[in-house]
Amino acid sequence: MNVIETKNLKKIYSQGEIKVNALNDVSINFKQGEFTAIVGPSGSGKTTFLNTLGGLDKPTFGNVMIDNLDITKLKANKIIDFRLRNIGFVFQSYNLIPVLTAKENIEFIMLMQGYSKEKRNKRALELLDAVGLSKESKRRPGQLSGGQQQRVAVARALASKPKFILADEPTANLDSSSTKNLLDIMYDLNRKEKMTFIFSTHDQRVIDRAKRVITLEDGKILSDKIT
Amino acid sequence: MLIKLAWRNIWRNKKRSLITISAIFIAVFLCVLLRALQLGLYDNMINNVVGSYSGYIQIHSKGFWDEQIVDNSFSPDKDFLNEIESIDGVSNTLQRIQSGSLASSSDLSKFVFVTGIEPLKESSLTNWEKRLIKGQLLKEESKSLNVGKGVAKYFDLKIGDTLVLLGQGYHGMQAAGAYPVSGILDLKNPTLNKISVFMTLPQAQDFLSAQNMITHLILNKKENKDEDAIALDIKNLINDEVYEVMTWREMIPELEQTIKADSAGGLIMVFILYMIVTFGIFGTVLMMTQERKYEFGVLISIGMKKIRLIKTMIYETVLLASVGAILGIALSRPVIIFLSPIKFPKEQAQMFENLGFEAVIPLMNTYDIPLTHGFIIFFISLIVCLYPLSVIIKLDPIKAMKI
Repeated sequence: MNVIETKNLKKIYSQGEIKVNALNDVSINFKQGEFTAIVGPSGSGKTTFLNTLGGLDKPTFGNVMIDNLDITKLKANKIIDFRLRNIGFVFQSYNLIPVLTAKENIEFIMLMQGYSKEKRNKRALELLDAVGLSKESKRRPGQLSGGQQQRVAVARALASKPKFILADEPTANLDSSSTKNLLDIMYDLNRKEKMTFIFSTHDQRVIDRAKRVITLEDGKILSDKIT
Repeated sequence: MLIKLAWRNIWRNKKRSLITISAIFIAVFLCVLLRALQLGLYDNMINNVVGSYSGYIQIHSKGFWDEQIVDNSFSPDKDFLNEIESIDGVSNTLQRIQSGSLASSSDLSKFVFVTGIEPLKESSLTNWEKRLIKGQLLKEESKSLNVGKGVAKYFDLKIGDTLVLLGQGYHGMQAAGAYPVSGILDLKNPTLNKISVFMTLPQAQDFLSAQNMITHLILNKKENKDEDAIALDIKNLINDEVYEVMTWREMIPELEQTIKADSAGGLIMVFILYMIVTFGIFGTVLMMTQERKYEFGVLISIGMKKIRLIKTMIYETVLLASVGAILGIALSRPVIIFLSPIKFPKEQAQMFENLGFEAVIPLMNTYDIPLTHGFIIFFISLIVCLYPLSVIIKLDPIKAMKI
């Protein structure tokens, strides 16, 4: 079953008088439970593609269908609410809220979804356990290593029980041991809970673990391989 | 959690927040102190001049205020007095008859106002007992005089000395008499002290050949009642062709004008302080907003609605302002209690009295002053919130995260 379908996606940026085709007629589907890496050189359109899938950016042409809903047609407020309930985000530089503890960062998403305090607490502890950070629940991001912060970010992304997780270069700032650790966690979540992950990455270690690798170049799909 | 988040965000940059809170604290502290001082001074002036002598409302015979002579007096009957006293807000009434006279003692003479009073009733308005500095107060049956300390000083009067009064009575009758001085009063108003001579109402009526006549019916109002509203009720009740009803504002407009002029000066000062506070808070909020545009972008990306983000910023700003305001209000109160009343050294006190003011300034210790300033700070912080509000509304998360 397709979770995401894109049809003829085009994104054209204007840089002065020059027009740049960041995405050029991209049509592709993602199925439930995929573990996909989007690869390609800098400027190939990876981040624009992820932003468009996540409803952060609107395509110039084309549609993004998520569970048969065209999110490009949603109004600004609706799309924020849609993201909250359906999409998890993991960023290259973690982007946790610095003044909240690891547990509170995870709870924050659930608070916005209207979960009760009890449910928030229970799920946050479960997720911290899942990413191996039960003991660090009361630490703030500044007191955690990069790898630990990224694991909290993954837990945060999972907290809203999303349909899929978009991760933009999630390992770019991590050392090899943290990268391996993070990939193991994400791989387990994918395998056990059928969570769909879509990464943009340059990292060969991530590419090696991906079940599907899509290569972008100049905003076009160059290859789409199931490994 | 949004409030918790807001509170912790305030302390991200401790130094900056502490500077802002200190600025708000100092401004609120000074504003509350300044207003307590000013309003206390005005209240004291009103109490001295209005509450202790003229009363808040007076009823005269029509035309008396323009031509203050005994011929413009009236004779109130019991029904009339009962009707007036039954009006909501009127606590009691007292009668006076007043006329200008020439006073003489030894080889000195000066103009004075001779006022006939009801000694027992007068106490309800004037704290008569507290005004006495020498001798005895007038009693209902007294045949003597109480004089202001300025009059006593001018004539060098001592208790038992005689003061000769010469004036014009009702309908051209000659008013003349010699009366012993039984008491010297401090009316807490230097002007009044220099011109006031009191005797009992019957004696004054006899002196002026104006039996049962009075020039002033003075109304005492109940606390927290509005004198203008009472005056209006009276005007609706009585015949305005025969009587005139005046509030202290109409009788002593210069007092209200003085208060208004001085108050305006104080308000300008308060305005300047609040402008400083406004820019202090705005500076902090501006930096807080600019520094966190990236974070706002992230929060919107992960699904935080802009309205919630705006709420968080409002909480932050209001919390920041509230801490300073609450500190300012809390610390100003004991200082006001400690300082009040401010008494001046003898020389300065004399100078104040010569200018017509009592040389004591009680600070007004009411809740409405700090509450007003707390509300102003709250309002300022809401106005300042318009900036982050506009930034967040326009924020594009992609652009914000590219910073």
